[in-house]
Amino acid sequence: MASRYDRAITVFSPDGHLFQVEYAQEAVKKGSTAVGIRGTNIVVLGVEKKSVAKLQDERTVRKICALDDHVCMAFAGLTADARVVINRARVECQSHKLTVEDPVTVEYITRFIATLKQKYTQSNGRRPFGISALIVGFDDDGIPRLYQTDPSGTYHAWKANAIGRSAKTVREFLEKNYTEDAIASDNEAIKLAIKALLEVVQSGGKNIELAIIRRNQPLKMFSAKEVELYVTEIEKEKEEAEKKKSKKSV
Amino acid sequence: MAATFFGEVVKAPCRAGTEDEEEEEEGRRETPEDREVRQQLARKREVRLLRRQTKTSLEVSLLEKYPCSKFIIAIGNNAVAFLSSFVMNSGVWEEVGCAKLWNEWCRTADTTHLSSTEAFCGFYHLKSNPSVFLCQCSCYVAEDQQYQWLEKVFGSCPRKNMQITILTCRHVTDYKTLESTGSLPSPFLKALKTQNFKDPACCPLLEQPNIVHDLPAAVLSYCQVWKIPAILYLCYTDVMKLDLITVEAFKPILSTRSLKGLVKNIPQSTEILKKLMTTNEIQSNIYT
Repeated sequence: MASRYDRAITVFSPDGHLFQVEYAQEAVKKGSTAVGIRGTNIVVLGVEKKSVAKLQDERTVRKICALDDHVCMAFAGLTADARVVINRARVECQSHKLTVEDPVTVEYITRFIATLKQKYTQSNGRRPFGISALIVGFDDDGIPRLYQTDPSGTYHAWKANAIGRSAKTVREFLEKNYTEDAIASDNEAIKLAIKALLEVVQSGGKNIELAIIRRNQPLKMFSAKEVELYVTEIEKEKEEAEKKKSKKSV
Repeated sequence: MAATFFGEVVKAPCRAGTEDEEEEEEGRRETPEDREVRQQLARKREVRLLRRQTKTSLEVSLLEKYPCSKFIIAIGNNAVAFLSSFVMNSGVWEEVGCAKLWNEWCRTADTTHLSSTEAFCGFYHLKSNPSVFLCQCSCYVAEDQQYQWLEKVFGSCPRKNMQITILTCRHVTDYKTLESTGSLPSPFLKALKTQNFKDPACCPLLEQPNIVHDLPAAVLSYCQVWKIPAILYLCYTDVMKLDLITVEAFKPILSTRSLKGLVKNIPQSTEILKKLMTTNEIQSNIYT
């Protein structure tokens, strides 16, 4: 049944599916995991770094990109589609600033990206963008925001979310562990993001990339050493928790 | 015949046969060249089972030559990685032979200098208990080759006092269910067993209308016909390439009778599995 209705994006199937959009969501699952956490005074984006070929320049393989000074996003899915969407969003951020003399709100730019994606699900001869994005930032009112968009063009605000390969496992971990205590301080929020990624990242801290935005501060990308420090701290805490457990049972 | 809105002409399926059957008959008569090409192709697509040391073909089928009480078959790269890390590292396994085949999708490589991405099909038995067999099959066996594979491995009159366990993976979008695939807890395990398999499965059985395909289906059908107890553990996953979470989804099988006693050190196996993942990462720039 599906093969009759999945060639043209503008065609609904009899049971109301837009198969091309659903297939685009499968393309997102082929990208590596990205996790976003909204803390009290910080927003965190963590991604699983792809293994870079020996001769490839690592700096040109980025999953986390700044859209403006106060907004950044991580994506999962088709690299080329992401580049196009990011370029359009960046232009829109500057255009907005020049037109209304105010920087974009996180919700505005998310809505822009989502509208762009939706247009491509209703156009003849085009296919949907094969990416999901996690957009984070602070608005002028100082409130931290995290939004997620998907290939169908929907967007929602989240407290914490994951996209890409094994996103479900990470989301389940976040549902269990995202508590008021867990995001009480900036460090705790960062550790939560790393812990969530370690659930699915196969080779530990050296394959994790992290970025944060603090209120009224620009985007900060963590170096590999800084990530390693957090990973070591997490491992220590784990060991201590296990020691306590074994003491209790004795 | 019906035309659709976009101009594509869709042929309506008809069981009575096509109208222009007579014309097709004329074109179908074989010339000697056609016969020659067909024979060459058949020879190329032959499945050969080779002995390990001498690299000569086995005269009889594998299980006619060696007695077997337990046979574990892993089909697909995730199932193969599971057996490699959890079972093959917990004992001394000796290679008894390998299958060589060619089809449009793959050509099997030599098992001596295998790179992790190459397709192969090897057979091993446990040194301490040579009636326990294991098969690692990471190549695609085409429909016309499945029967040959079965004949070369099981033979035309197999013994019934052995137990077969098959492990394989399938993409979750193949799983037919009322729920949407987004809400399924993939990866998840389903089992399908033959009538003579009396032990309980460690996971729910595969529900209708889902079916099994390819070599796992061929082996199960063969076992059902010959009344051999066999069970297939099918892992539905959304990551078909080598993936840690998919491989770990097979873990419940470690507690079943089929694999009990064959697995010793689970934490060490997990470490070996992690190493296997990192060495196998194929570079691709399409998805980030």
